[in-house]
Amino acid sequence: MWKMVQCAVQGRSHIKTDIPCQDKTYTLVKNGVNVIALADGAGSAKFSHYGAERITRFICDDFSENFDSYFAAEDGASVKKELVSKIVAELDDLSKELNCSLKELASTLLFVAVKENQFILSHIGDGVIGYLKDNDLKIASQPENGEFTNTTVFTTSKDVLATMKLIKGNIGDIQGFVLMSDGTEVSLYNKREKKLADVLKKIMSLCLVILPQKMEEQLLSSFESVIKQATTDDCSIVLMANDKDSFPGYKNLSNVEKNKLLDFRVFVSKKCLRRYDEILKGLECERTLKDISRIIHLKPRFTKKHLDKLLQLNLIEKKGTRYHTIIIMN
Amino acid sequence: MDNNLLVRLEDLVNNPTARVPVCLCLDTSGSMDGQPINELNEGVRLFYEAIKEDETALYSAEISIVIFGGNNAECIADFASLELQPNAPKLSAGGMTPMGEAVNMALDLIERRKDEYKDRGVDYYQPWLVLMTDGEPNGDKSELSRAINRTVETVNQKKLTVFPIGIGAYADMNVLGQFSPKRPPLKLQGLKFREFFAWLSKSVSKTSQSTPGESVKLDVEGIKGWGEL
Repeated sequence: MWKMVQCAVQGRSHIKTDIPCQDKTYTLVKNGVNVIALADGAGSAKFSHYGAERITRFICDDFSENFDSYFAAEDGASVKKELVSKIVAELDDLSKELNCSLKELASTLLFVAVKENQFILSHIGDGVIGYLKDNDLKIASQPENGEFTNTTVFTTSKDVLATMKLIKGNIGDIQGFVLMSDGTEVSLYNKREKKLADVLKKIMSLCLVILPQKMEEQLLSSFESVIKQATTDDCSIVLMANDKDSFPGYKNLSNVEKNKLLDFRVFVSKKCLRRYDEILKGLECERTLKDISRIIHLKPRFTKKHLDKLLQLNLIEKKGTRYHTIIIMN
Repeated sequence: MDNNLLVRLEDLVNNPTARVPVCLCLDTSGSMDGQPINELNEGVRLFYEAIKEDETALYSAEISIVIFGGNNAECIADFASLELQPNAPKLSAGGMTPMGEAVNMALDLIERRKDEYKDRGVDYYQPWLVLMTDGEPNGDKSELSRAINRTVETVNQKKLTVFPIGIGAYADMNVLGQFSPKRPPLKLQGLKFREFFAWLSKSVSKTSQSTPGESVKLDVEGIKGWGEL
């Protein structure tokens, strides 16, 4: 089973000029296929946000229907051709609906589809596709920019086939995939060293243990407050993490597992763990520091230290004066 | 607040800002003496100030200045951001107009800077070359024709944007035109350097914020107020 999380935020320059967010993401689980997709609409193409939205949905649908035949195809070049012609046909339909030219719908496209132990990924244009394997973040596909930073290849470009990347393989020990747009690249991809930021590992592992809606909220809030501030461009990301061992919920973890999740370097006493159990359980409803301090019979200043640790680990959230558990408990 | 976020400031990678290399290739021959050189100095100074006031342009724009006066071309400021090179140079006029030599030097500087960007993994935008003269070139003819050919070829390959600007009644607009296959040269109205450089800094700022697929429209209409097409 795969857990997915996504977010796209409007860049600062688009807010200023009142242009909609041109980064679009989509995820789909259908027919046993898990698909994540991301598209970044071309800067000055008027309807590129529509093009990006349509194409992410289309590619997810198409792969949920046709994964096996794509994977079975020996000739990658013919799969690329087929995909490009389907993409162009889809955008052509949309251009008729919107009464605009095909170019107005141009975007990049990045996607990963997984079925059982097999995956297919593809990349048109800039942005990055990464994956986590043996706890090591690796690059599956680098950005395809022209010589200049504000040039790239789009779904509607003439040279799309020549630069499109298409990779298939077995999942094996792959723990997760990540897609990001060029806006996000600024913060999470070191261009010189061609390395992804380590925080992506943390996001992937939290993806498995945090309530999905809360995970999206946390990601969105980080993108609004941190990632977006490093660029004027739109920023987006989609991740999928392999929940191989199927997280059973905090309450069902062994003490060893809890110790690891709570990031204790040494094995702590059962009493100490029990305190965290009580806090997390108590915070299944929103409560203040005073409330929780009363529940666990500990002075507020000591309780606060435990709460700060849980906040630091992103296992609880704080809104105003109230705390709330966001980790999956059962 | 930051401590509760999933992604914190310290988690971010540090990528260098994408650069916009701009080379000013300026005529400082004897005929520019007096008010023209004073106005040019003021225009360049205001250009520097405008770039420094723009948060994005300050870190993106890299300015170099090649002058042609005396007997030779001279690079008086190599490519660097205005954070490192904050003060506009003071130009003085005198001597001949070796324009071909200057443009060749400017093109060499641009090529070298692009190689440095590539080596260091720094992204960059299409370089700009601003060529300003008030007369006709009188340097080596073969250098001039080599400079014209190189510029035209680079512009046609979409690897350079060139702005040839004529100053005053005696600027050789025909030669300036030969440097620019896509856009006719502009003639500065009187000595309105300030308006031109104000426009240039705005355009640099706009370019430094552009994203893939965004064709930055250089608002030539907007500079009609100071120039004549």
